[in-house]
Amino acid sequence: MLHGLTLGAMYALVAAGLALMLGVARLINFAHGEFFMLGAYVFWFGYSELGLPYPVAALLAPVMMVAFGIAYQRTVIRAILARSWHVQLIATLATSIVLTNLAIIVLGTQPKEVPTVLSSRILDVGGFRVAWQRLLVLAASLVIFWGLHRFVSRTRTGRAMRAMSQNREACAVVGVDVQWTAMVTFALSAALAAIAAALVSPLFNIFPDMGTTLTLKAFAAVVAGGFGYVNGAIAASFLIGLIEALAGSYVSYAYKDAIAFLIMIAVLLWRPQGLFGRRIGI
Amino acid sequence: MRRAVWLVLCIVIVAAPWLVAAAVPRQQRYVLHVLIFTALFAALALSYDLVVGHVGSLSLAHPAFFGVGAYAAAILATEARWSFLADVVAACLAAAVVAALVGVPLFRLAEHAFAVGTLGLALVASVVANNWVQVTRGPLCITGVPKPTLGPLAVTTLPAFYWLAVAALVAVGLLYQGLTTFRLGRAFHAVRDNEPLAAAAGIDPLKYRLVAFTIAAGLAGGVGALYVHYLSVMCPEEMTVALTVNLLVIVFLGGVGSLRGVLVGAVLFTALPEVLRLAPTWRLVIYGCLLLLVVIRSPGGIESLLPRASR
Amino acid sequence: MRLALTLAALLLMAVSAGAQAPPPIRIGFASAMSGPAAITGEGVRWGATLAVDEINAKGGVMGRKLEAFFADNKAQPGEAVSAVRKLLDVDQVDVIIGQTHSGACLGAMPVVKELGVPMVIEACSHPQIRALSGKGGNEWTFRVALDDEIMAYTFARYMARQGVKSTSILAMNNDFGHGAANAYDAAFKKANIKLLSTEFFDPGQPDYRPVLTRLKRANPEAILAIILASDGAPFMRQFRELGLTQRVFSRGSLGSAEFLYQVRDNPKIGDGVIEASYWITGLDPDWDKKWTERYKVPPRIHGSLAAITLKWAVVPALEIALKKHGKADRPTIRAALEEVDVKDSPLGPIKFDANHQAWINMILIEIRDGQLHILDKLPTSPALLN
Repeated sequence: MLHGLTLGAMYALVAAGLALMLGVARLINFAHGEFFMLGAYVFWFGYSELGLPYPVAALLAPVMMVAFGIAYQRTVIRAILARSWHVQLIATLATSIVLTNLAIIVLGTQPKEVPTVLSSRILDVGGFRVAWQRLLVLAASLVIFWGLHRFVSRTRTGRAMRAMSQNREACAVVGVDVQWTAMVTFALSAALAAIAAALVSPLFNIFPDMGTTLTLKAFAAVVAGGFGYVNGAIAASFLIGLIEALAGSYVSYAYKDAIAFLIMIAVLLWRPQGLFGRRIGI
Repeated sequence: MRRAVWLVLCIVIVAAPWLVAAAVPRQQRYVLHVLIFTALFAALALSYDLVVGHVGSLSLAHPAFFGVGAYAAAILATEARWSFLADVVAACLAAAVVAALVGVPLFRLAEHAFAVGTLGLALVASVVANNWVQVTRGPLCITGVPKPTLGPLAVTTLPAFYWLAVAALVAVGLLYQGLTTFRLGRAFHAVRDNEPLAAAAGIDPLKYRLVAFTIAAGLAGGVGALYVHYLSVMCPEEMTVALTVNLLVIVFLGGVGSLRGVLVGAVLFTALPEVLRLAPTWRLVIYGCLLLLVVIRSPGGIESLLPRASR
Repeated sequence: MRLALTLAALLLMAVSAGAQAPPPIRIGFASAMSGPAAITGEGVRWGATLAVDEINAKGGVMGRKLEAFFADNKAQPGEAVSAVRKLLDVDQVDVIIGQTHSGACLGAMPVVKELGVPMVIEACSHPQIRALSGKGGNEWTFRVALDDEIMAYTFARYMARQGVKSTSILAMNNDFGHGAANAYDAAFKKANIKLLSTEFFDPGQPDYRPVLTRLKRANPEAILAIILASDGAPFMRQFRELGLTQRVFSRGSLGSAEFLYQVRDNPKIGDGVIEASYWITGLDPDWDKKWTERYKVPPRIHGSLAAITLKWAVVPALEIALKKHGKADRPTIRAALEEVDVKDSPLGPIKFDANHQAWINMILIEIRDGQLHILDKLPTSPALLN
């Protein structure tokens, strides 16, 4: 089902960023969904308020969120990076609450609509109808994942990220710039979430609470895929997206949101270390 | 000196309804209402602290147990006409049983997976409560839960319910103290502070974590039952993930792992918003900022900032 | 000495001047100010503030100014109880307008009776409220809005007259949605329309594709959407995307200026929707203009309902209370509400029957060419329920 794949792509982009941070920087970031939410609002601002063309506005979102991600890293993250993950979880959860409610105060509760040309034009193939935007989401995410893979395996920074996720102490000894690599990972993570937002917002709408459920589902995907293993998270995300769409269409629409977690719980019961085991590294 | 302080505190707490009536006669009903909520929240936070503070497992599933207990009590009281004490006991048992059942697979997981697993449980419980309309009536809520009756006594007035809530809090507090001192408490702390060492010393981490988890869940269920009898309605919104956030704020702000700290946190958390009278969204922003600051700067909470009075 | 006397005289004058201004009448408004339904509470706050300012600018009610107080019920019954207590004990209000959401209304009703404050309900649509209020029941609660039983019977009969033989319900997964779905379930049976399926969706979640697929499969002639404008926009977009052709009837705020604003890039997306309501922009153009000037968006339903309740139910009651009894305390306002008989409010006649229900007009709204049109204005009465 195409819709399930589109949903899965959205979850995957968000979960990949989460998994990267977990794998490389050992960081639990409960405020990740807010990167998505803020990215969506930046996109809306660029597209609706400033009237920028779609590709420009769509790229504005990750650019701004990279800047925001770096600022976030220098303030909050630096303070909690060395602390226990309990502290990390609660601190980032607190940040998520602050960001979401500030968004409500500043931007208001009324959802924003950002329809684009592609989201209004429908492709009709023998009765099967889908907005072009959905195809864009799928295509763009495949391109992005391919790019991510190349980055991690071919470039120096990418290899440094892999090294850090496997053995952090050895990296420092060998001369890998740990700080820089961590920052790049963070920026990448924020950018992925923002691009997902720019791709998906025209299909749905934008409101301050949109990040919270997404964070939870992304975590479900990351845990089910094997903590910190990016490809695992991506695979689990597509699985969740597909099953959610299918279950919503054929079983029960009301319980749809619980599906992601039921899948995760089922996976964990069967393999407590996640689908792909205790894979070291991203 | 300390005895005297304790005595005065006890007298103030017991005499609160009269003191409040004398101090703020026109607002006394509202103040008592806030105090009842404070007592119930404090009891809930203490039960949560057993798991988070003393056994060191960051469980995010507490709303599910609160909800199971609350719904059990509500359904038994309205459909089956059980007496108050009976449905409170049933609520505790129901929540404890659920905790034991899910705890076994959950505790086999690594720490991060455990946290997210408990979060998933809370979410699924919330969705079920909202959609299993045949049992929980979903968003239409279970209404008409009768006021509690203890034998011949009917707890219908606000001061009566206040004393009931305080009594419950005292009971939970005593249980909390008992569980966290003596050998059991030391075992809990051994598991929390150094699990491999504890295991090597013959303390089974899984068993002790499960014990704390189950008892905490049972207590949460009991508080849920009291809550439902006070409000006479139970809706799915009362057991969402947001409740976990409130509990985290109370426990971490006040002082995780400390009776006094959690109590202080509960009082601040429920009383402060009433004093400040801020718009709800700003209130959440401030909680978030406070939580962030506290958890970064002094993870021991306010308790760690107070001078170390020997207990 | 003379200085002291002058000061004393001035002080006395100031005090007596202050004492001469009669105290304001305090009106409490309770709604969902936070949480997922916060958009409704915001509307209520805006509407209430605008209405109170309007009344005070004209000198208040018989010389007494109004003062508005707000409380948050988070759309939950437990919080509604807290909101009532806060308004009563802390803000000392004389009358409450609220609670917007059915669960909150039902939760608050026993408390307003216990504490003795009149509550005029502006929007809760659960039929149980009518059964529980009035003589022999809860004498402190009054309702201006129509409930879903009244509207369902009328609307279902209208749909049957339009030739609809089968339908599916898509409803919000909250107290409003479930209450309405139950009412329409019964109403469709009476109108001989076959109900093929009932689906619930969580408000705020924007992905309707799975449920639209289900609806396509069930293939009813019509869909009854119990939905608000903010969810209605993504719903209608995806409805069109999937190419569904069912007739859409709705109950909520799909047929509203708020919805058209959300889809202003393609206003015809809502064409064909027929909404059963009791409020629409255009009933009071002067109000619409004032709202848009002040808040820069089209008037919102809950805010406008709160304002109308204040201006055409509560204010007349205050006038009756002040004229007949010279005071406006809680029991007097309660008794005065029973005597209110307004013929020409924007919603229609407001007169509370034995169940403290006002039988205002029902309005059928159609979206045509991207604009709202009033198809029909139907007066209501208890006879409709037979």
